[in-house]
Parts: sequence; C-alpha cells; structure tokens
Amino acid sequence: MNASGDRLRGLKARPKNISTEELRKVDRVGEDRGFSDRTPRRKPGRKVSPRTYQLHPKVLPDTGEAIAAEAERLGLTQGQLIERMWQTYRYGTAS
Amino acid sequence: MASPKGGAGKSTCAVLLATGFARMGASVTVLDCDPNKSLTRWASRGLPEGIALLSDVQRSELVTVIREADGDGRIVIVDLEGIASQIVSRAISQADLVIVPMQPTALDAEVGSEALGLVQEEEEALGKEIPHAVVLTKTSAAVKSRVQRELEAQLMAAGIDLIEPSLVLRAAFAELFAHGGDLEAMMDDPNIATGGRVDRAIVNAREFTEAVYERIR
Repeated sequence: MNASGDRLRGLKARPKNISTEELRKVDRVGEDRGFSDRTPRRKPGRKVSPRTYQLHPKVLPDTGEAIAAEAERLGLTQGQLIERMWQTYRYGTAS
Repeated sequence: MASPKGGAGKSTCAVLLATGFARMGASVTVLDCDPNKSLTRWASRGLPEGIALLSDVQRSELVTVIREADGDGRIVIVDLEGIASQIVSRAISQADLVIVPMQPTALDAEVGSEALGLVQEEEEALGKEIPHAVVLTKTSAAVKSRVQRELEAQLMAAGIDLIEPSLVLRAAFAELFAHGGDLEAMMDDPNIATGGRVDRAIVNAREFTEAVYERIR
C-alpha cells in the first residue's frame, strides 16, 4: 500500500441504518417524482414443468424405462419415438 | 452515480472512481444495477486488484448489499440505470455522496436536475443531509463552451456542489470498456491504441478521484 493507501485507512464508514418506515418514505418520495418500481414482473401462469421422462402411468415401468432410454439414445422425445412405433405398427414401416 | 438520463457518463465515472480508489489502496465494491451491464462487461475483460463487482443487484436487495459491502477503508460505488426507477431513490437514501454526471447540454441538465430534486426531497423526508454533487462529463479539452459556462453558473447559483475538474471527452475513457482494467494498465500495454492521450486521461481521472475523496473523507 502506498502513501495514498495510508490516507484511505482513515476513511470511516457512516451508519447506514434505515427503518422499514423510512424506506417506505423514500419509495413514496421517489414514486411522486416518477421514480417507480420497474422490477420486471414474473410472467403469469403455471411454470413449465421440468421434464420427468415419464410415460403414461399405465405403461409397465420396465417398458417405460426402455422407451425413455431408446428415445434418449436416438435424440428424440418419447412422443416422437412413439409416433415412429405407431407408423411401424399401423403401416409396417417407420416414415 | 445517479441520473435518469442514459449516456450521461455514470458508468464511466463509476469505473474511473473504482480504479482510482483501488490504486489508492481502498477495497472497492462496485454494484452494477444497470441492466445494460456496462460495468459487468468491463470487469469481464479484466478486473483490477482491489475491486469486487456485484452484478445484477435488484431493488429489493440493494440496501442490504450496500450495508454488507460498506466498512472502514472501503468504498462502495453504485452504478444505476439511466431511468427513473425506485432503485435510484433507494440508492440515494444510502449514499455518502450522490454524484450526478451531466454532459454540458440543456437536455442533460434538465433530466439530471430530476435526480437533484429527488435528493433534496429525500433529505426532507428523512430529515438528514445527503451530500450530492454534479460532475460535468464529456467536456471539451480545448475550450469551455458557452452552454457549459452557463450551466456551471446556474448550478453554482442554485448552490449545487460542482466537482472540479470535469471529465473531459477522452478516447481512453471509452476504451476502458473495450479492454477492461484501468488507465494505467492501458498506458503500459503497447497493444492498446486509443488514438488519444492516455496520460492526460490519467491526470484527469486522478484529479476527479481526489475531488471525490475530499467530499467523502
């Protein structure tokens, strides 16, 4: 630290206590001058559910896990894999 | 740094003070409350020793964050968005010195005076003095314009503390955001060409930092 650093060692912090009521006053004063709360609001509605890779609950667990693993291996969603399976079942070939 | 006008020089002042005080040996915390994240971008390109940067500080946490960062021998610099928002009024309530940067133009003076008015009303509401000062930014190195002379006269007539020196329009100040670090590091790096006088920018920034130090010590 240089000589300037020694000067700054004498810099004393001033109390920064502010009560909730004082903070409300500050907010009110600001709002009256157009300094309003511009914090972005959360989007309304239900949050997107995280992917669980679960199939319909009536699919046997082993079958569900096998389908999930195959879809992941192919880089598809399970829905896309099931569409392929349907094509094969219905028309004898995947498109 | 408070002004509801964008481009007044808040982020430049914040960087010059942060780097200046860090060079003087202070422990500096910079709060980037501007969604444009100018200071976060500057820091991502090289943060000088002695400076910590907290990005994306929100209105609800500002008072707590300032209180936690503050302390003896420490400097907390809050860079605010150039917009009239509640985070500005909250930051002002916590300030040991509110700096209102203004370019010497009629528009900057008009919009900047909103921040000065807010400070004065907060002083009345809280029953305490909130030190505040104006610094003129992007001024001409060669001549003082008529508008600047008139603005200085108006501010002084209104009893507003005017920080001297003003911050001159220097390429090096703008280049800091492209390269990170501080002016001294820029001066020492032969790969950085600013097209301007870095040595003069350093003198200007040091004198500005000294002038601010005199107001907070």
